[in-house]
Amino acid sequence: MRVRDDRCIGCKRCFPYCPLGRIQTLRRHEKIPGRIYIEIDQDKCTDCGMCYRAKICPVNALYQPAEPWPREVRAILSNPLTEYKGSQVPGRGTEEMKTNDVSGRFRPGEVGVGIELGRPGVAAYFRDVEKVAMALSPLGYQFAEENPVTQFMADKKTGKLRDDVLNERATSAIIEGKCNLKNLPEVLETIKKVAEKVDTVFTVEIISKVPPEGEIPILPILKRLGYWYSINSKNNVGLGEPAFKFYQ
Amino acid sequence: MTHSLHRRGDRESLKDDFVVLGCPSTGVNKKGSAPKTREYLRIAYTHGPINEGDMKTGNIYNTTIEDILDRVTDGTIVEVTYDSRDRVVALLKELKEKRPGISITVSGVTDIVQEMMYEAGLGRIHTIEYSMGTWGQTEKLPDFDVLRITTMCGHAMIANDLVGKMIRDIKRGRRTLDEVAVEMAKCCTCGNLNLTRGKQILKEMLPLYVINSY
Repeated sequence: MRVRDDRCIGCKRCFPYCPLGRIQTLRRHEKIPGRIYIEIDQDKCTDCGMCYRAKICPVNALYQPAEPWPREVRAILSNPLTEYKGSQVPGRGTEEMKTNDVSGRFRPGEVGVGIELGRPGVAAYFRDVEKVAMALSPLGYQFAEENPVTQFMADKKTGKLRDDVLNERATSAIIEGKCNLKNLPEVLETIKKVAEKVDTVFTVEIISKVPPEGEIPILPILKRLGYWYSINSKNNVGLGEPAFKFYQ
Repeated sequence: MTHSLHRRGDRESLKDDFVVLGCPSTGVNKKGSAPKTREYLRIAYTHGPINEGDMKTGNIYNTTIEDILDRVTDGTIVEVTYDSRDRVVALLKELKEKRPGISITVSGVTDIVQEMMYEAGLGRIHTIEYSMGTWGQTEKLPDFDVLRITTMCGHAMIANDLVGKMIRDIKRGRRTLDEVAVEMAKCCTCGNLNLTRGKQILKEMLPLYVINSY
Protein backbone atom coordinates (compact mmCIF):
# COMPACT_ATOMS: atom_id res chain seq x y z
CA MET A 1 0.00 0.00 0.00
CA ARG A 2 1.24 3.46 -0.86
CA VAL A 3 0.38 7.01 0.11
CA ARG A 4 0.15 9.95 -2.27
CA ASP A 5 2.35 12.41 -0.44
CA ASP A 6 0.79 15.41 -2.18
CA ARG A 7 -2.65 14.46 -0.86
CA CYS A 8 -1.99 12.98 2.58
CA ILE A 9 -2.52 15.41 5.47
CA GLY A 10 -1.02 13.17 8.15
CA CYS A 11 -4.29 12.86 10.11
CA LYS A 12 -3.36 9.30 11.22
CA ARG A 13 -6.94 8.02 10.87
CA CYS A 14 -5.63 4.99 8.95
CA PHE A 15 -3.23 3.97 11.75
CA PRO A 16 -5.60 1.87 13.90
CA TYR A 17 -6.89 -0.04 10.87
CA CYS A 18 -3.49 -1.51 10.00
CA PRO A 19 -3.47 -5.19 11.07
CA LEU A 20 0.31 -5.03 11.50
CA GLY A 21 0.35 -2.15 13.96
CA ARG A 22 2.41 0.97 13.69
CA ILE A 23 4.30 0.57 10.42
CA GLN A 24 3.85 4.19 9.37
CA THR A 25 6.00 7.24 9.99
CA LEU A 26 5.23 10.94 9.59
CA ARG A 27 7.32 12.89 7.09
CA ARG A 28 7.60 16.57 6.26
CA HIS A 29 6.81 17.30 2.62
CA GLU A 30 9.78 18.80 0.79
CA LYS A 31 7.78 20.84 -1.69
CA ILE A 32 4.58 21.79 0.15
CA PRO A 33 5.36 24.11 3.08
CA GLY A 34 3.90 22.95 6.39
CA ARG A 35 2.57 19.69 4.96
CA ILE A 36 3.03 16.50 6.95
CA TYR A 37 2.32 13.17 5.30
CA ILE A 38 2.42 9.49 6.22
CA GLU A 39 4.97 7.09 4.79
CA ILE A 40 4.27 3.35 5.02
CA ASP A 41 7.25 1.07 5.70
CA GLN A 42 7.26 -0.91 2.45
CA ASP A 43 9.27 -3.77 3.94
CA LYS A 44 6.74 -4.33 6.72
CA CYS A 45 3.55 -3.64 4.72
CA THR A 46 1.99 -6.83 3.35
CA ASP A 47 -0.36 -5.09 0.87
CA CYS A 48 -3.40 -6.55 2.64
CA GLY A 49 -5.41 -3.50 1.62
CA MET A 50 -7.27 -3.15 4.92
CA CYS A 51 -6.53 0.57 5.38
CA TYR A 52 -7.81 1.23 1.85
CA ARG A 53 -10.96 -0.88 2.25
CA ALA A 54 -11.78 0.87 5.54
CA LYS A 55 -12.49 4.02 3.49
CA ILE A 56 -11.18 6.04 6.37
CA CYS A 57 -8.87 8.38 4.46
CA PRO A 58 -10.57 11.81 4.16
CA VAL A 59 -8.44 12.86 1.17
CA ASN A 60 -8.23 9.57 -0.73
CA ALA A 61 -4.45 9.42 -0.39
CA LEU A 62 -4.10 5.63 -0.09
CA TYR A 63 -3.66 3.53 -3.20
CA GLN A 64 -2.49 0.05 -4.13
CA PRO A 65 -0.40 -0.09 -7.31
CA ALA A 66 -0.14 -3.34 -9.26
CA GLU A 67 3.03 -4.84 -7.83
CA PRO A 68 5.45 -6.87 -9.95
CA TRP A 69 6.82 -10.27 -8.98
CA PRO A 70 8.01 -11.08 -6.33
CA ARG A 71 6.24 -8.41 -4.28
CA GLU A 72 3.02 -9.62 -5.87
CA VAL A 73 3.01 -12.56 -3.44
CA ARG A 74 2.28 -10.21 -0.54
CA ALA A 75 -1.23 -9.37 -1.75
CA ILE A 76 -1.87 -12.94 -2.89
CA LEU A 77 -1.44 -14.18 0.66
CA SER A 78 -2.54 -11.11 2.61
CA ASN A 79 -5.49 -9.53 0.84
CA PRO A 80 -8.52 -11.82 1.28
CA LEU A 81 -10.05 -10.38 -1.88
CA THR A 82 -7.16 -11.61 -4.02
CA GLU A 83 -7.64 -15.07 -5.50
CA TYR A 84 -4.56 -17.10 -6.31
CA LYS A 85 -5.26 -18.91 -9.57
CA GLY A 86 -3.14 -21.91 -8.59
CA SER A 87 -5.33 -22.80 -5.61
CA GLN A 88 -8.58 -21.94 -7.41
CA VAL A 89 -10.11 -20.77 -4.14
CA PRO A 90 -10.12 -17.30 -2.62
CA GLY A 91 -8.02 -16.96 0.52
CA ARG A 92 -4.62 -18.12 1.65
CA GLY A 93 -4.97 -21.87 1.49
CA THR A 94 -6.95 -24.67 -0.08
CA GLU A 95 -10.28 -26.38 0.37
CA GLU A 96 -8.49 -28.81 2.75
CA MET A 97 -11.03 -30.64 4.95
CA LYS A 98 -13.95 -28.41 4.00
CA THR A 99 -14.74 -30.64 1.04
CA ASN A 100 -13.31 -33.91 2.34
CA ASP A 101 -16.76 -35.52 2.23
CA VAL A 102 -16.67 -35.38 -1.58
CA SER A 103 -12.94 -35.12 -2.37
CA GLY A 104 -11.57 -37.87 -0.10
CA ARG A 105 -8.44 -35.76 0.38
CA PHE A 106 -7.83 -37.02 3.93
CA ARG A 107 -8.44 -40.74 4.25
CA PRO A 108 -8.35 -43.08 7.24
CA GLY A 109 -4.74 -43.45 8.39
CA GLU A 110 -3.81 -39.99 7.13
CA VAL A 111 -3.52 -36.73 9.07
CA GLY A 112 -3.72 -33.27 7.58
CA VAL A 113 -1.25 -30.88 9.18
CA GLY A 114 -1.34 -27.14 8.56
CA ILE A 115 1.11 -24.55 9.85
CA GLU A 116 0.07 -20.94 9.31
CA LEU A 117 3.01 -18.64 9.87
CA GLY A 118 2.36 -15.08 10.99
CA ARG A 119 -1.07 -15.84 12.36
CA PRO A 120 -2.67 -14.24 14.26
CA GLY A 121 -1.81 -10.71 13.19
CA VAL A 122 1.98 -10.84 13.46
CA ALA A 123 2.95 -11.54 9.80
CA ALA A 124 5.83 -13.65 8.54
CA TYR A 125 8.69 -13.47 6.06
CA PHE A 126 8.95 -16.33 3.58
CA ARG A 127 12.44 -17.12 4.86
CA ASP A 128 10.70 -18.34 8.03
CA VAL A 129 8.08 -20.20 6.01
CA GLU A 130 10.92 -22.02 4.24
CA LYS A 131 12.50 -23.10 7.55
CA VAL A 132 9.31 -24.89 8.56
CA ALA A 133 8.67 -26.40 5.11
CA MET A 134 12.22 -27.76 4.85
CA ALA A 135 12.02 -29.23 8.35
CA LEU A 136 8.86 -31.15 7.44
CA SER A 137 9.89 -32.50 4.05
CA PRO A 138 12.10 -35.40 5.27
CA LEU A 139 9.25 -36.77 7.40
CA GLY A 140 7.04 -38.06 4.62
CA TYR A 141 4.99 -34.88 4.73
CA GLN A 142 3.23 -34.36 1.38
CA PHE A 143 2.73 -30.68 0.53
CA ALA A 144 -0.74 -29.86 -0.84
CA GLU A 145 -0.14 -29.23 -4.53
CA GLU A 146 -2.73 -26.46 -4.93
CA ASN A 147 -1.57 -24.48 -1.89
CA PRO A 148 0.02 -21.09 -2.77
CA VAL A 149 3.13 -21.70 -0.61
CA THR A 150 3.69 -25.03 -2.39
CA GLN A 151 3.45 -23.20 -5.69
CA PHE A 152 6.21 -20.83 -4.55
CA MET A 153 8.59 -23.74 -3.92
CA ALA A 154 11.66 -24.21 -6.09
CA ASP A 155 11.84 -27.84 -4.96
CA LYS A 156 8.65 -29.49 -3.74
CA LYS A 157 10.56 -32.48 -2.38
CA THR A 158 12.74 -30.46 -0.01
CA GLY A 159 10.36 -27.57 0.66
CA LYS A 160 12.94 -25.06 -0.62
CA LEU A 161 11.24 -21.83 -1.71
CA ARG A 162 12.24 -19.70 -4.65
CA ASP A 163 15.07 -17.37 -3.59
CA ASP A 164 13.27 -14.31 -4.91
CA VAL A 165 10.35 -14.64 -2.47
CA LEU A 166 12.36 -15.25 0.70
CA ASN A 167 12.42 -11.59 1.78
CA GLU A 168 8.76 -11.03 0.98
CA ARG A 169 6.29 -10.83 3.83
CA ALA A 170 2.68 -11.91 4.25
CA THR A 171 0.05 -11.29 6.91
CA SER A 172 0.07 -15.07 7.12
CA ALA A 173 1.22 -17.93 4.91
CA ILE A 174 -0.03 -21.45 5.43
CA ILE A 175 1.86 -24.64 4.72
CA GLU A 176 -0.68 -27.38 4.05
CA GLY A 177 -0.21 -31.08 3.56
CA LYS A 178 -0.64 -34.48 5.09
CA CYS A 179 1.32 -37.38 6.55
CA ASN A 180 0.66 -40.90 7.76
CA LEU A 181 -0.84 -41.16 11.23
CA LYS A 182 2.24 -43.02 12.47
CA ASN A 183 4.44 -40.05 11.52
CA LEU A 184 2.36 -37.51 13.45
CA PRO A 185 4.44 -37.59 16.69
CA GLU A 186 7.65 -36.92 14.75
CA VAL A 187 6.02 -34.19 12.67
CA LEU A 188 4.74 -32.39 15.78
CA GLU A 189 8.11 -32.75 17.54
CA THR A 190 9.82 -31.25 14.49
CA ILE A 191 7.39 -28.34 14.41
CA LYS A 192 8.08 -27.74 18.10
CA LYS A 193 11.81 -27.57 17.44
CA VAL A 194 11.57 -25.30 14.42
CA ALA A 195 9.31 -22.94 16.41
CA GLU A 196 12.45 -21.83 18.25
CA LYS A 197 14.11 -20.82 14.99
CA VAL A 198 11.44 -18.58 13.43
CA ASP A 199 10.99 -14.89 14.15
CA THR A 200 7.20 -15.01 14.23
CA VAL A 201 4.26 -16.98 15.55
CA PHE A 202 2.28 -19.69 13.80
CA THR A 203 -0.87 -21.66 14.36
CA VAL A 204 -0.94 -25.42 14.05
CA GLU A 205 -3.97 -27.41 12.94
CA ILE A 206 -4.54 -31.09 12.36
CA ILE A 207 -7.21 -32.87 10.35
CA SER A 208 -8.62 -36.35 10.65
CA LYS A 209 -11.39 -38.33 9.05
CA VAL A 210 -13.73 -39.32 11.88
CA PRO A 211 -14.41 -43.07 11.77
CA PRO A 212 -18.05 -44.21 11.77
CA GLU A 213 -17.45 -45.67 15.20
CA GLY A 214 -14.69 -45.53 17.79
CA GLU A 215 -12.27 -42.82 18.81
CA ILE A 216 -10.87 -40.06 16.59
CA PRO A 217 -7.43 -41.56 15.88
CA ILE A 218 -5.36 -38.42 16.48
CA LEU A 219 -6.70 -37.73 19.97
CA PRO A 220 -4.92 -40.54 21.86
CA ILE A 221 -1.65 -39.40 20.28
CA LEU A 222 -2.13 -35.78 21.33
CA LYS A 223 -3.13 -36.81 24.86
CA ARG A 224 -0.24 -39.26 25.25
CA LEU A 225 2.32 -36.70 24.10
CA GLY A 226 0.78 -33.87 26.11
CA TYR A 227 -0.15 -31.54 23.25
CA TRP A 228 -2.84 -28.92 23.86
CA TYR A 229 -5.74 -28.67 21.46
CA SER A 230 -8.65 -26.29 21.54
CA ILE A 231 -12.21 -27.09 22.61
CA ASN A 232 -13.44 -25.55 19.36
CA SER A 233 -12.89 -27.16 16.00
CA LYS A 234 -13.99 -27.14 12.39
CA ASN A 235 -16.31 -29.95 11.43
CA ASN A 236 -17.34 -31.24 8.03
CA VAL A 237 -20.91 -32.48 8.52
CA GLY A 238 -20.92 -34.75 5.45
CA LEU A 239 -23.66 -33.12 3.38
CA GLY A 240 -21.68 -32.74 0.14
CA GLU A 241 -22.70 -34.68 -2.96
CA PRO A 242 -21.69 -37.01 -4.47
CA ALA A 243 -20.27 -38.50 -1.26
CA PHE A 244 -16.78 -39.95 -1.50
CA LYS A 245 -16.75 -43.66 -0.58
CA PHE A 246 -14.17 -44.00 2.21
CA TYR A 247 -15.16 -47.51 3.20
CA GLN A 248 -16.20 -50.34 0.91
CA MET B 1 -7.64 -21.92 4.64
CA THR B 2 -8.69 -22.25 8.23
CA HIS B 3 -9.97 -18.85 9.12
CA SER B 4 -12.86 -19.91 11.35
CA LEU B 5 -10.72 -22.37 13.31
CA HIS B 6 -8.46 -20.51 15.69
CA ARG B 7 -10.98 -18.46 17.66
CA ARG B 8 -9.77 -17.90 21.19
CA GLY B 9 -11.84 -17.94 24.35
CA ASP B 10 -13.18 -20.21 27.06
CA ARG B 11 -16.20 -22.45 26.73
CA GLU B 12 -18.58 -19.84 28.13
CA SER B 13 -17.46 -17.34 25.49
CA LEU B 14 -17.48 -19.82 22.60
CA LYS B 15 -20.61 -21.86 23.34
CA ASP B 16 -22.86 -19.64 21.21
CA ASP B 17 -20.42 -18.94 18.41
CA PHE B 18 -20.77 -20.89 15.17
CA VAL B 19 -19.52 -20.34 11.63
CA VAL B 20 -21.30 -22.46 9.03
CA LEU B 21 -19.42 -22.52 5.76
CA GLY B 22 -20.53 -23.69 2.34
CA CYS B 23 -17.91 -24.78 -0.17
CA PRO B 24 -18.01 -26.61 -3.51
CA SER B 25 -15.11 -28.89 -4.41
CA THR B 26 -12.73 -28.32 -7.31
CA GLY B 27 -12.88 -31.23 -9.71
CA VAL B 28 -15.95 -32.75 -8.05
CA ASN B 29 -18.95 -30.44 -7.88
CA LYS B 30 -17.56 -26.95 -8.42
CA LYS B 31 -18.73 -26.64 -12.01
CA GLY B 32 -22.31 -25.44 -11.98
CA SER B 33 -22.22 -24.92 -8.19
CA ALA B 34 -23.43 -21.29 -8.15
CA PRO B 35 -27.17 -22.15 -7.86
CA LYS B 36 -26.39 -24.62 -5.05
CA THR B 37 -24.30 -22.08 -3.17
CA ARG B 38 -27.00 -19.45 -3.65
CA GLU B 39 -29.62 -21.87 -2.33
CA TYR B 40 -27.48 -22.58 0.73
CA LEU B 41 -27.03 -18.86 1.41
CA ARG B 42 -30.75 -18.23 1.00
CA ILE B 43 -31.70 -21.01 3.40
CA ALA B 44 -29.04 -19.90 5.90
CA TYR B 45 -30.33 -16.32 5.84
CA THR B 46 -33.85 -17.42 6.80
CA HIS B 47 -32.46 -18.84 10.05
CA GLY B 48 -31.39 -15.44 11.36
CA PRO B 49 -27.58 -15.32 11.26
CA ILE B 50 -25.71 -12.54 13.03
CA ASN B 51 -23.40 -12.25 10.01
CA GLU B 52 -23.23 -13.68 6.51
CA GLY B 53 -20.87 -13.05 3.65
CA ASP B 54 -18.73 -14.03 0.74
CA MET B 55 -15.04 -13.31 0.88
CA LYS B 56 -14.98 -11.54 -2.48
CA THR B 57 -18.23 -9.57 -2.23
CA GLY B 58 -18.28 -8.71 1.46
CA ASN B 59 -20.75 -9.33 4.26
CA ILE B 60 -24.21 -8.05 5.16
CA TYR B 61 -22.66 -5.05 6.95
CA ASN B 62 -20.69 -4.04 3.83
CA THR B 63 -23.43 -4.69 1.32
CA THR B 64 -26.87 -6.31 1.05
CA ILE B 65 -27.83 -9.97 1.10
CA GLU B 66 -29.28 -9.48 -2.38
CA ASP B 67 -25.92 -8.26 -3.66
CA ILE B 68 -24.14 -11.23 -2.03
CA LEU B 69 -26.63 -13.65 -3.64
CA ASP B 70 -26.36 -11.94 -7.04
CA ARG B 71 -22.57 -12.15 -7.11
CA VAL B 72 -22.22 -15.83 -6.24
CA THR B 73 -20.29 -17.71 -8.93
CA ASP B 74 -19.07 -21.29 -9.31
CA GLY B 75 -16.46 -21.79 -6.61
CA THR B 76 -17.63 -19.03 -4.28
CA ILE B 77 -17.06 -19.93 -0.62
CA VAL B 78 -19.70 -18.48 1.69
CA GLU B 79 -19.77 -18.14 5.44
CA VAL B 80 -22.66 -17.66 7.82
CA THR B 81 -22.19 -16.85 11.51
CA TYR B 82 -24.74 -17.60 14.22
CA ASP B 83 -24.98 -16.64 17.89
CA SER B 84 -27.51 -19.32 18.75
CA ARG B 85 -27.24 -23.08 18.92
CA ASP B 86 -30.94 -23.55 18.15
CA ARG B 87 -30.70 -21.61 14.91
CA VAL B 88 -27.85 -23.83 13.69
CA VAL B 89 -29.78 -27.00 14.56
CA ALA B 90 -32.78 -25.69 12.58
CA LEU B 91 -30.47 -24.83 9.68
CA LEU B 92 -28.85 -28.28 9.67
CA LYS B 93 -32.26 -29.95 9.71
CA GLU B 94 -33.34 -27.96 6.66
CA LEU B 95 -30.06 -28.61 4.85
CA LYS B 96 -30.42 -32.33 5.52
CA GLU B 97 -33.86 -32.24 3.95
CA LYS B 98 -33.12 -29.97 0.97
CA ARG B 99 -29.48 -30.96 0.40
CA PRO B 100 -28.02 -28.12 -1.68
CA GLY B 101 -25.14 -30.49 -2.53
CA ILE B 102 -22.09 -28.39 -1.61
CA SER B 103 -19.98 -29.32 1.41
CA ILE B 104 -20.93 -27.78 4.74
CA THR B 105 -18.63 -27.29 7.73
CA VAL B 106 -19.56 -26.02 11.18
CA SER B 107 -16.94 -24.36 13.37
CA GLY B 108 -17.71 -24.33 17.07
CA VAL B 109 -17.11 -26.08 20.38
CA THR B 110 -16.64 -29.70 19.32
CA ASP B 111 -19.01 -31.49 21.68
CA ILE B 112 -21.75 -28.91 21.05
CA VAL B 113 -21.38 -29.28 17.29
CA GLN B 114 -21.59 -33.06 17.60
CA GLU B 115 -24.75 -32.77 19.74
CA MET B 116 -26.30 -30.40 17.18
CA MET B 117 -25.53 -32.85 14.37
CA TYR B 118 -27.23 -35.69 16.24
CA GLU B 119 -30.26 -33.47 16.88
CA ALA B 120 -30.42 -32.66 13.17
CA GLY B 121 -30.17 -36.35 12.27
CA LEU B 122 -26.73 -36.06 10.69
CA GLY B 123 -24.89 -38.59 12.85
CA ARG B 124 -21.18 -38.33 13.56
CA ILE B 125 -18.87 -35.57 12.39
CA HIS B 126 -17.45 -36.58 9.00
CA THR B 127 -14.01 -34.92 9.18
CA ILE B 128 -12.62 -32.81 11.99
CA GLU B 129 -9.92 -30.14 12.18
CA TYR B 130 -8.43 -29.23 15.56
CA SER B 131 -6.56 -26.08 16.46
CA MET B 132 -3.36 -26.81 18.39
CA GLY B 133 -2.94 -23.16 19.30
CA THR B 134 -0.23 -20.63 18.59
CA TRP B 135 3.44 -21.61 18.66
CA GLY B 136 6.69 -19.71 18.17
CA GLN B 137 7.41 -16.18 19.38
CA THR B 138 4.14 -15.78 21.28
CA GLU B 139 5.47 -12.75 23.15
CA LYS B 140 4.69 -10.85 19.93
CA LEU B 141 0.96 -11.42 20.45
CA PRO B 142 -1.37 -8.83 21.98
CA ASP B 143 -3.35 -9.36 25.20
CA PHE B 144 -5.65 -12.37 25.29
CA ASP B 145 -8.72 -10.09 25.54
CA VAL B 146 -7.78 -8.45 22.25
CA LEU B 147 -7.13 -11.86 20.68
CA ARG B 148 -10.60 -13.02 21.67
CA ILE B 149 -11.97 -10.40 19.28
CA THR B 150 -9.36 -10.30 16.54
CA THR B 151 -9.17 -14.10 16.08
CA MET B 152 -12.79 -14.07 14.96
CA CYS B 153 -11.34 -12.83 11.66
CA GLY B 154 -8.97 -15.56 10.52
CA HIS B 155 -7.46 -13.29 7.88
CA ALA B 156 -6.40 -10.96 10.73
CA MET B 157 -8.14 -7.97 9.15
CA ILE B 158 -9.43 -6.67 12.50
CA ALA B 159 -6.39 -4.81 13.76
CA ASN B 160 -5.25 -5.09 17.36
CA ASP B 161 -5.04 -1.30 17.55
CA LEU B 162 -8.58 -0.99 16.21
CA VAL B 163 -9.93 -2.79 19.27
CA GLY B 164 -8.27 -0.23 21.56
CA LYS B 165 -9.44 2.63 19.35
CA MET B 166 -13.03 1.38 19.40
CA ILE B 167 -13.01 1.02 23.19
CA ARG B 168 -11.67 4.55 23.57
CA ASP B 169 -14.37 5.81 21.18
CA ILE B 170 -17.06 4.18 23.31
CA LYS B 171 -15.67 5.64 26.51
CA ARG B 172 -15.46 9.08 24.94
CA GLY B 173 -19.05 8.86 23.75
CA ARG B 174 -18.10 8.98 20.09
CA ARG B 175 -19.59 5.62 19.17
CA THR B 176 -22.06 3.17 20.67
CA LEU B 177 -21.30 -0.49 21.32
CA ASP B 178 -23.49 -1.44 18.36
CA GLU B 179 -21.69 0.97 16.03
CA VAL B 180 -18.31 -0.38 17.11
CA ALA B 181 -19.39 -3.97 16.45
CA VAL B 182 -20.52 -3.05 12.93
CA GLU B 183 -17.30 -1.14 12.25
CA MET B 184 -15.25 -4.22 13.16
CA ALA B 185 -17.59 -6.51 11.20
CA LYS B 186 -16.95 -4.42 8.07
CA CYS B 187 -13.22 -5.18 8.34
CA CYS B 188 -13.84 -8.95 8.31
CA THR B 189 -15.22 -9.19 4.79
CA CYS B 190 -15.96 -12.92 4.93
CA GLY B 191 -18.63 -12.42 7.57
CA ASN B 192 -16.97 -14.39 10.35
CA LEU B 193 -17.30 -11.82 13.12
CA ASN B 194 -19.94 -12.78 15.66
CA LEU B 195 -21.19 -9.34 16.66
CA THR B 196 -23.06 -10.61 19.72
CA ARG B 197 -19.92 -12.23 21.09
CA GLY B 198 -17.80 -9.24 20.09
CA LYS B 199 -20.05 -6.86 22.02
CA GLN B 200 -19.96 -9.08 25.10
CA ILE B 201 -16.16 -9.18 25.04
CA LEU B 202 -15.97 -5.41 24.58
CA LYS B 203 -18.30 -4.92 27.56
CA GLU B 204 -15.92 -7.00 29.64
CA MET B 205 -12.94 -5.00 28.39
CA LEU B 206 -14.40 -1.52 28.91
CA PRO B 207 -13.53 -1.22 32.63
CA LEU B 208 -9.92 -2.19 31.87
CA TYR B 209 -9.29 0.90 29.75
CA VAL B 210 -8.63 4.26 31.41
CA ILE B 211 -9.03 7.34 29.24
CA ASN B 212 -6.56 10.01 30.32
CA SER B 213 -7.69 12.89 28.11
CA TYR B 214 -10.77 13.92 26.20
